[in-house]
Amino acid sequence: MKDVILQKLARGAYLSSVWLIILFVLFPLAITFWVAFFSNRIMSFPPEGYTSSWFLQAWSLAAFRDGFLLSLKVAICASLLAILLATPAGLAIARYRFRGREMINTILMSPLMIPAIVSGSAIYLFYIDLQVRSNVQFASTFYGLVIAHTLIAIPWVLRLMIASLAGLNPSIEEASLSLGAGRLTTFFRITFPMIRPGMTAGALFGFIASFGDLEKSLLIVGPGRITLPISMLNYLQYRTDPTIMAVATIQILLIGCALIISDRYVRLSKTF
Amino acid sequence: MQGDATLGTTKRLSIGVKGAAPYQLAAPALLFVLVFLLLPLVMMLRLSFFRYDPAQMFIEAFTLDNYVKFFKDEFYQQVLWRTLWIASVTTAFCLVGGVLVAYYIARTRSAALRRYLIVAIVLPLFMGNVVRTAGWIIVLDNGGLLNFLLVRFGIVPEAIRFLYTPGAVIAALISVLLPYMIVTLNSVMQNIDISLEEASLNLGASPFTTFRRVVLPLLLPGIFAGSVLCFILSMNAYATPVLVGGPEFHMMAPTIYLQMSANMNWPFGSALAFVLIALTMLLTIGSSIVFNRSTRASA
Repeated sequence: MKDVILQKLARGAYLSSVWLIILFVLFPLAITFWVAFFSNRIMSFPPEGYTSSWFLQAWSLAAFRDGFLLSLKVAICASLLAILLATPAGLAIARYRFRGREMINTILMSPLMIPAIVSGSAIYLFYIDLQVRSNVQFASTFYGLVIAHTLIAIPWVLRLMIASLAGLNPSIEEASLSLGAGRLTTFFRITFPMIRPGMTAGALFGFIASFGDLEKSLLIVGPGRITLPISMLNYLQYRTDPTIMAVATIQILLIGCALIISDRYVRLSKTF
Repeated sequence: MQGDATLGTTKRLSIGVKGAAPYQLAAPALLFVLVFLLLPLVMMLRLSFFRYDPAQMFIEAFTLDNYVKFFKDEFYQQVLWRTLWIASVTTAFCLVGGVLVAYYIARTRSAALRRYLIVAIVLPLFMGNVVRTAGWIIVLDNGGLLNFLLVRFGIVPEAIRFLYTPGAVIAALISVLLPYMIVTLNSVMQNIDISLEEASLNLGASPFTTFRRVVLPLLLPGIFAGSVLCFILSMNAYATPVLVGGPEFHMMAPTIYLQMSANMNWPFGSALAFVLIALTMLLTIGSSIVFNRSTRASA
């Protein structure tokens, strides 16, 4: 009898700690949503009332509006460039066995492994060096940001390309070739439709990783050209109010949508 | 007929021989990463041996001064130790919490619940650390939720300062990094055969003994990989120490940024960056050696 009670108690403790831990992870995101609608001018509890005016207020602040648009543009350009660069590489690594394959894979995944603050610093110093040598400015330019963010996106495109190609049979392409279709025809009619889901998911994850990036961009952004996460960091270092929570809510919704769309191409619960 | 056949063979050959094809396919991406990431890293390594000069930024040299300064100066010693102990405590908590949640997710009977839980854990991973830390500021601030609740229910007479304390940094880091641990452990849990646990339970072992003697040993590779990942990520954390730790709370990554930006001491900043990379690599390689040895010993 005592044993049964003890077991029930242990099971209750286990279950409640599991849900508390999950809450611990999700709570900061949930509370952001809630506070974004408070009518209190400064951060305080309890809410005096609710309003959606902070979203308009956020859009009227140049730092957030410009930051949002810049991050959007950079993330789109970077994920497209990463698709162009990493899709063929993904094909090579997934389809061929060749000397140096492991090493090439490691090098292409390295932007994910190297501490972001370290690679961000290295890229920044490299840009300065280029500028001194050739007088072409990269640091605090749009192109400089796109290059750094392409590095962020490449590992994601590669990873999802390889994952989606793993389940496909290369003999379908061989059949197409041996039945007389040319290499280009085979690529556009057979290979491309097969790798399209992987490419789309890779581009979406590249977009997400680029949009949320903070550390790699910190040194590369310049006056008047600051990405959204950095604008938010600068703002949060001095004040916390419902406006910044409205901005955070918009970012959560945007990334959430991108994730739900990518879930249609690769199941999140199977990929992770 | 003859022509067709030859054509067929050459086409087959072009698939079979492969030769330069994979290299050509991989070349653009490889070149991009080599030029824009690995070359800059090599240049930064070289810069870390230059001499700092306030007037000229740096003077070309080959000196270990920057590294010596890091290991001699008490301030940077403290930064390093603070980073290491924060990372250790964070990893320990992530491990305990991660094991509990990953076990629950893997063994829950409802497939739908499992799927929703994994998605719920994966979603925050992509939200960006600034946004995820912002929520913790609302909770921990003097006018924040936690202080409001504590005062409201009369547990404390007035607001306690939570923000800008090591405890706050650790709590926020755990929350940010737990999903990495859960996802890593979950991938290993999925492959552990449930019938092993059932056998242990049938043979009379308690759930706790079953977990400790059957599940935990099989989970070891995940525990190892997840801990190394969490440790490295908390050592390299930027947004959380800056926002929750405040301007006086110095960890490695913000210190590197400060040297590169406001202080403009690039040689020293580069040296700091390489200390961080070296520590990261040392820990990864070192712990994998220890891990391999201990699993071989127990096998």
